[in-house]
Amino acid sequence: MMEELAHHILDIARNSVEAGATRLEITVEEDTQSGVLRFVVGDNGPGMPEHVRRRMLDPFFTTKSGKKVGLGLPLLQMAVQRCGGHLEVSSAPGQGTTVVATFPYYCWDRPPLGDIPRTVVGLLAGSDQVDLCYRHVYNGQVFELDTVEIRLRLRGIPLQTPEVLLWLRQHLAESINNLCGGGEDGQDRLARRAG
Amino acid sequence: MARIDSLAELDKLRERLQEEMRLREGGEEVKVVVTMGTCGIAAGAREVITAILEEISKRGLKGVTVGQTGCAGLCHYEPLVEVERPGTEKVTYVHVDEKKAREIVSKHLVNGQVIKEWTIK
Repeated sequence: MMEELAHHILDIARNSVEAGATRLEITVEEDTQSGVLRFVVGDNGPGMPEHVRRRMLDPFFTTKSGKKVGLGLPLLQMAVQRCGGHLEVSSAPGQGTTVVATFPYYCWDRPPLGDIPRTVVGLLAGSDQVDLCYRHVYNGQVFELDTVEIRLRLRGIPLQTPEVLLWLRQHLAESINNLCGGGEDGQDRLARRAG
Repeated sequence: MARIDSLAELDKLRERLQEEMRLREGGEEVKVVVTMGTCGIAAGAREVITAILEEISKRGLKGVTVGQTGCAGLCHYEPLVEVERPGTEKVTYVHVDEKKAREIVSKHLVNGQVIKEWTIK
């Protein structure tokens, strides 16, 4: 069981990194009016061949050597089904993989979105070869951060430097809060999002 | 507005880090690796890796690389933290939480003292 949707995002994105992706695009979309919460994890990895795609939701199937189970996608599938959401995975060799998980926004059984800044930082720590574009859409308003731009700004200082990653966490936390928490009912909204 | 302030902060941070890089001699590199498979993430690896980053940054430790890897096949011992110092055997800590992670940084990385009770062979 994953306690936060952010844990699922980290897990799915780790699959991308382990499969050799160098570019990740993560989007979180919150639409409180139509009552939808959706996340998308897309990569430029090798993509899944047909025989893998067929069994990707089978918990006793994995592509990793020395293991007998592969629980990442099956756990996400369970979380989605528990609240009547929808999971879509598109992947083909040479075309990368995109995972789209859609949840009802207002649902007791939906795990809270959770700690996105920590997830992004956890994902980037030690993945020197990976660039990430994170996009957060809240009722049509967009925040976007691309590590390609951050790296340029760092002029050779590695993104993996602990101080830099901690700055990034702070920056993401403030930006997402500004995006989603503004207005009079800010506290209420924050509380809902935290679960 | 917060965004602009925040980016200016990053520039300042970069300048400081560049200065520190110039001053630093090419000392030995210690590697700390957190396993982040599905099992690790579910058990709290994300909290562990951020605690390690915070502690390293707070203490101004240099010459430490933080990395991550997939499931190591020891799912029931997760979260795992491996410490590798050149010339010594790799040490694997098991059932690590945020508190233990901070102690691993202060005892093992700073003082070179292995916390044997938390390790497995």
